[in-house]
Amino acid sequence: MKLAYKPAPLLRRTCLVLLTLLLTGMANAADQAIEIIDAMEELYRGESSLARMTMIVETPQYQRTMEMESSSIGTEKAFIRILAPRKDRGISTLKLDLEMWNYLPKINKVIKVPPSMMMGSWMGSDFTNDDLVKQTTLTDEYDLTMEETADQYHVDLVPKSNTVTVWGRINYVINKEPLMPLSQNFYDDNDEFIRKMEFSEPREISGLFIPTRMEMIPMNKEGHKTVIIYDDLQFDPPEIDESIFTLRNLRSRF
Amino acid sequence: MLLFKLAFRNIFRQRRRSLLTAMSLIGGYVLCVFSFSMSEGSYNNAITFFTQDHTGHIQIHKEDYLLRPKIHKTIEAPEELSAMLDANEEIASHTLRIFAPSIAYSDTDNTPAQVIGVDLDRERTTSTLAAKISEGSYINSEIDGEGYYSAMIGAGIANNLNIGLGDELILISQGADGSIANDIYMVGAIVGDRDSGDRATVFLPLATAQEFLSMYDAVHEVSILLEDDGRARAEAEALQELLPDLSVDPWQVVEATFYQSMQTDKQGNAVFMGIIIFIVFVGVMNTVLMSVLERTREFGVLKAIGSRPAKLTLLITLETTVLALISVLIGLLLATPLILWFTYAGFALPEPIDVGGVLMSHMTGELSLFVFGTPLLLVLGFAIVISIPAGIRAALNSPTEAMRSH
Repeated sequence: MKLAYKPAPLLRRTCLVLLTLLLTGMANAADQAIEIIDAMEELYRGESSLARMTMIVETPQYQRTMEMESSSIGTEKAFIRILAPRKDRGISTLKLDLEMWNYLPKINKVIKVPPSMMMGSWMGSDFTNDDLVKQTTLTDEYDLTMEETADQYHVDLVPKSNTVTVWGRINYVINKEPLMPLSQNFYDDNDEFIRKMEFSEPREISGLFIPTRMEMIPMNKEGHKTVIIYDDLQFDPPEIDESIFTLRNLRSRF
Repeated sequence: MLLFKLAFRNIFRQRRRSLLTAMSLIGGYVLCVFSFSMSEGSYNNAITFFTQDHTGHIQIHKEDYLLRPKIHKTIEAPEELSAMLDANEEIASHTLRIFAPSIAYSDTDNTPAQVIGVDLDRERTTSTLAAKISEGSYINSEIDGEGYYSAMIGAGIANNLNIGLGDELILISQGADGSIANDIYMVGAIVGDRDSGDRATVFLPLATAQEFLSMYDAVHEVSILLEDDGRARAEAEALQELLPDLSVDPWQVVEATFYQSMQTDKQGNAVFMGIIIFIVFVGVMNTVLMSVLERTREFGVLKAIGSRPAKLTLLITLETTVLALISVLIGLLLATPLILWFTYAGFALPEPIDVGGVLMSHMTGELSLFVFGTPLLLVLGFAIVISIPAGIRAALNSPTEAMRSH
């Protein structure tokens, strides 16, 4: 107790101040990282959304372009329907929580995607079924460390010990002005670069800058690439309601 | 001529011994012929079976499709190739195929199925597909009144899905462009039974399968049947030169597992037969040495009156060879009806044997020059080889010492 009244030597006081500053600074950086990542994750979702997009799948053997319509509510419910090409028109995917079904109109059959197929390709693209289904909140499941440059944030996401994921590390690059994602780089447990997703061509929608072009490039498959272009994106449109996200609607011809 | 007379006289001098020696030679020869006939016959049956069943004598693929089949390793615009093959006189027929793994569904069940798209007309003349149909009839490539194309399904699929003729068959696969291939077909025929190799196969008309898999105007495999099945390797090489961008392989490469196990087995058989003949000839050698030994005095006299040593060697070689030849001829007489029966009747195996993926259920022999000739040459060769040292020994004896012996 006696010590408390004693004026601390100048050097020690300086150290304490510096340490406090540093600690608050770090805490702020971590909080800021969480805030930024959360904001990025919310970007495409809103409360509900309705989008029209074009997906281009490129491989050394073929290139395929599909037009589709996607509706979603939060992260739990999504419904995607292929509009073109004619051959694939009407093929639909319904996602409810962690389950997923595909509907094939030609054979009038709903096929549930089994857990073993979750890492399989979705519609022949470089996106996996899991990419569509997963609804992890990155900031809950990963530990974040952030570095800042003049115009970018570089956030490293490392899974927490109890997180179930295939990734060993995700490196998230975010543009500061306007605030929008630039790229996500995915590494496996051996820190091998597996794939990257690049964001570009931002457009202002409902006051947010949203990249309308996403490219998924697997690093281990040369010549493979999937591009998704948002032709139209609306948040909280009136036509989205719960009845869209049902197996009954999945089966309906349109 | 004198030598022959002498040789015959010497053979018949010890009749019982010659007879016993001849019997072991005959036994060895017949055993050899039978064994060769069996292995040649059963393998040739198997080869005929699978070359006509599906393999053909020669296959053409893109790159290493044979080892690592990928849907995009295709032969583009096969009409040109087809026209060239049709014009080739060595080629009896050929057919075009595409392959894809798929899942087959009925209303209630599903099962994995290998989809094979076949050129229906060409397949008929190239493989035994049409003959394997157990229910229904060979399909055509026309669309039916309800808008369905027909499919021929393996009996295993029919059984697993619980469907029959005229029922709907749903197929799902991945198209060459990454799309989900899915369509409904009408079951027009059931192929084979639940044990046959095609039990999990769905045969579709080529154009239908190409549309299903979004791989227009491309095939995975060309299977060729030759006029002369012995020319597979040579003709494959000739075709390879004409088609530098594709891989041309004879059946020996296509069915490499079978071919290698066959070669190994045949070599093992040949070695085993060699050992049998060798054992027979240990006995023959004993006979030759005995007859030389007991005639030492005789040879001494022959040499003393001016026979050349080479003549003596020749005499002994001739004796053995004549004995071997007589035995082989008797063996041939005995073996011929046996092999004839074995070739044309044969016997059924209680359990089919799997040889490199080909099931052999019936054992029949082979009647050919190889089957009779190889053991014949083997026996005569051995006869000459073992009699020469004995002959030389007889020839080298000094006449004085020889005449003194008893």
